[in-house]
Amino acid sequence: MFFTVFAVLFLAFSVAGIVCALLSPERGVALSLGCFGGVASVAMGAVGVCALISDTPFEVRLWSVPTVGPLMLSVDKLSGLFLLVSAFVFLATSIYSVEYLQAYLKHFNLRTLSVCYFAIMLAVGLVLSAADALTFLVSWELMSLFGYALVNYQKRDEQSTRPGYLMLVMGEAGFVAVVLAFLVIGGRGPGNLLFSSLRLHSASLGWHARWAVFLLSFFGFGVKTGLAPFNRWLPQAHPIAPANVSAVLSGVLLNLGIYGIIRVNADLTPLATAGPGLVVLLVGAFSALMGIMYANRDNDMKAMLANSSIENMGIITTALGAGLVFMTFHQPLLAGIAWIAAFYQMTNHSVYKSLLFFGAGAIDRNSGTRLMDRLGGLSKHMPLLAALFLAGALSICALPPTNGFVSEWLTLQCLLQSSVLASRSVKVLFALAGAGLALTAGLAVTCFVKAYAMTFLGIPRSNQARQRARVRFPIRLAMGLGAVSCLLLGVLPTYVIPILGRVSELLTGVNAAAALVPPFFNGAPGHSRLPHSFLSDFHNLGAQVGQNLLPAPGLVVLHRGHAQNPVVFAMSTSYMLPVLILLASTLFLAVRFVLARRSKTVRKPVWAGGLASLFPELTYTATGFSSPVRVTFNAVFHPQMSEERLELIAGHFRNSITRVVGEVHVFDRVLFQPLVNRASHIARTLSRMHHGRLNAYSAYVLGTLFVVLLLSRTQVEEHVVLSPALILIVALILDRLL
Amino acid sequence: MSRWVISGLRQGVVTTCYPTRMETAKGTSPGLPARLTPMADEFGQELVDVCPTGAIHFERGEARVDYGRCIHCFRCSRSARYVLEWESGFEWARFASDGSNFVKGAASWPKAFRKSMHIRVVDAGDCGACLNEVKQLNNPYYNMHRLGFFITPTPRKADILLVVGPVNDHTRLPLQAAYDAMPTPKLVMAVGACALSGGVFGPSFVTGTGVKDVLPVDIEVPGSPPPPLAILHGLLVAAGRKPPMPGQDGR
Ligand code: SF4
Repeated sequence: MFFTVFAVLFLAFSVAGIVCALLSPERGVALSLGCFGGVASVAMGAVGVCALISDTPFEVRLWSVPTVGPLMLSVDKLSGLFLLVSAFVFLATSIYSVEYLQAYLKHFNLRTLSVCYFAIMLAVGLVLSAADALTFLVSWELMSLFGYALVNYQKRDEQSTRPGYLMLVMGEAGFVAVVLAFLVIGGRGPGNLLFSSLRLHSASLGWHARWAVFLLSFFGFGVKTGLAPFNRWLPQAHPIAPANVSAVLSGVLLNLGIYGIIRVNADLTPLATAGPGLVVLLVGAFSALMGIMYANRDNDMKAMLANSSIENMGIITTALGAGLVFMTFHQPLLAGIAWIAAFYQMTNHSVYKSLLFFGAGAIDRNSGTRLMDRLGGLSKHMPLLAALFLAGALSICALPPTNGFVSEWLTLQCLLQSSVLASRSVKVLFALAGAGLALTAGLAVTCFVKAYAMTFLGIPRSNQARQRARVRFPIRLAMGLGAVSCLLLGVLPTYVIPILGRVSELLTGVNAAAALVPPFFNGAPGHSRLPHSFLSDFHNLGAQVGQNLLPAPGLVVLHRGHAQNPVVFAMSTSYMLPVLILLASTLFLAVRFVLARRSKTVRKPVWAGGLASLFPELTYTATGFSSPVRVTFNAVFHPQMSEERLELIAGHFRNSITRVVGEVHVFDRVLFQPLVNRASHIARTLSRMHHGRLNAYSAYVLGTLFVVLLLSRTQVEEHVVLSPALILIVALILDRLL
Repeated sequence: MSRWVISGLRQGVVTTCYPTRMETAKGTSPGLPARLTPMADEFGQELVDVCPTGAIHFERGEARVDYGRCIHCFRCSRSARYVLEWESGFEWARFASDGSNFVKGAASWPKAFRKSMHIRVVDAGDCGACLNEVKQLNNPYYNMHRLGFFITPTPRKADILLVVGPVNDHTRLPLQAAYDAMPTPKLVMAVGACALSGGVFGPSFVTGTGVKDVLPVDIEVPGSPPPPLAILHGLLVAAGRKPPMPGQDGR
């Protein structure tokens, strides 16, 4: 009932938004986008909440198409979660756009942007609620196309449209793979394309077909998610897109790839062997590591954030892969925990990445540059923006008690749970993935220390950074929404995990949330895995503080393995926050009133190396800060310097030396360039066939006929095959002789 | 790599035995002429003339060498009829004659540096010789880290300011800025004849008579350049771990 109301509201407001964008005067477009977009996304979120709460999926039967069968929409808990997360990003983006788009008013057509924005909102809604392959694929394609239109919105010249074009091309390649995957699932199949019938049918697939489905769909969705090595488009697309589009791209569209992977590989054709799950796991960890390395290298804020999106998607995919492996080893509880971690990380990423993109956009708009080497000192005239950006940066660094900490902690913990698995090689791979993620987490801190410090602290490094600007209310509201959500998702994990647990329960059949959030508050003794004595030990530690104040089973996230694997992992950011505040304030007071009394504080100007005052060239740059990372991972970045000397006088005196440092992305260098070289080599070889002699061409025709007949030999008589072969041979001989 | 370890082990410890024992190896110090030598007037006057920096004064039948100006040019031990005795030690550091509050006794000598001291080196227009000797303190032979002395890149973390050079016009303000930027308590050590008195450069149109024109100096290390061991002695004196040169404590 409510569901229908909200769904209709969503539809109505999105369409109204399009109409309003077309009819309202140019100046009002941004406002109408904000209002209608905001309401529509609230409705979208409400649909998601309804789906998460209800036990049965909401289904809407659309019309029936001849030869394809009935089309259907259905919103289950999995779709519900993705809808809710997307709705949050759309809501914040709509608010943000009201102010952000003012800068585009004179130079660009806001109507196009607005229409595409609502269209992509509808397309996302449709992708997430599609319950048959046709609707899914069509809406997926729509989403890709509108995504392309939005990213390429500020097209100025050939150079700036290339990345968008690359995004489109790679997305389309992925789309073809997804189509093929669906063809394999429903190939000889059920006669219609409904997910429900595909689900039934997929049980009969052989292992070849399963691997094909997995590889095709993982590639197809992985391209959209930005998994290595098919993510070259992402760091290029973000810098050319407007900031609000970047937020949607990172916060919503990348998630849809994750949705696709889960929908196909955990729901439609659940994996039967551990192999595919391990591929997911390792590709995820690899993406995370590569993403964060390049994020460390990039000094363009948006390229850096894009690479960090790749990192986060990698972490999500790693947790996802762990879940898939646990499922094939019949450990639904651990799989559930892994998926909770994946969903948690996904939610967090959408929240903080949109927040950070908003911040980058505001800085870009005010200073006209996104290069950290040219920014600096912004916290002096944008203190609120700095604080909000800091909240996002702390969360993405996974520092407790923020939300990033909870999800990354859960991910690493569930990777450690691989000790229950029987296979030793699988354990080793889990350990590798865990080590990769640990390194990633460390590098993420470096990366965002750099991002925050170089942008907001120190002194301005250029005149652009010196410009004063006000950050207006909509931007502050949108970013504040993100920052508050980061904090809430961080300190109240025991409220979030049960919701995510409902989603993973849909896929695993086991309620993993119950195993993560023990009932410390109501102390129900009937918990098989947690005997009363065990719980009361934690009571002595204070796990029941807040018992009568908060409606929750407890504030501690705790998991205890079973008899063979009695590993306990426990954490409580909810208690950590007050303790941290207490410690910090005690320290502050101690320093301020006890230690400071004994020594005198003297204020002196900043040490500028003996010069009269500090100037920007003396301070640390972003490039300098990331230098240790570049040097350590030199093998990955592999920078090459070419030197050109101009020696005019007597060949001894140099007039000029030009040094160019070139860097080719590791995937281009190792994978794509050799592939392209190989392909063009083959093409060159083949082009020798095109010499323009007629007899040869007729020989090719005959040869083709021969091969075709040979391939379909089973149905054809022998002599039918042989006769063209004879003609071919005769023709070739004639060709030689003539 | 492994060869490096093995050859290092085979080599053994090469670091000087100073300050536990006196270093007696050849070539570690150029030495200085004897400070006080009684002699006849005519010889004394000749010595005063022979000294290129005016380090020798002749009063009341005694030739007195001002170590703050001496550049160990050996003229007084070779190119005169009555030569001065040559002393080979290196523990020359002394408290500055009209030095800081610490030296005058107006404030008690900082005890915090006994175990460890961070040094900010400032080149106040030196010719490179003293700076080169300071640099040697970091090498394995002198290895001042074993004694808890460290060079810092910023005066913010420094305990002692080590100044080399006669302080010319262009380095005066940076030198003052570096001193200002240091947290208290702080010491100043002037190293080399130029830093002590202007040396061969000063006083002249670009330099004054050394660091004491600009900053309150605590420790002076004579020599031009002083050998690393003399600088080490200066640091130990500053840290309160060694007594200054006898008869030269300036107080
Ligand atoms: S060594 Fe040279 S500078 Fe020193 S006192 Fe003798 S003559 Fe003068």
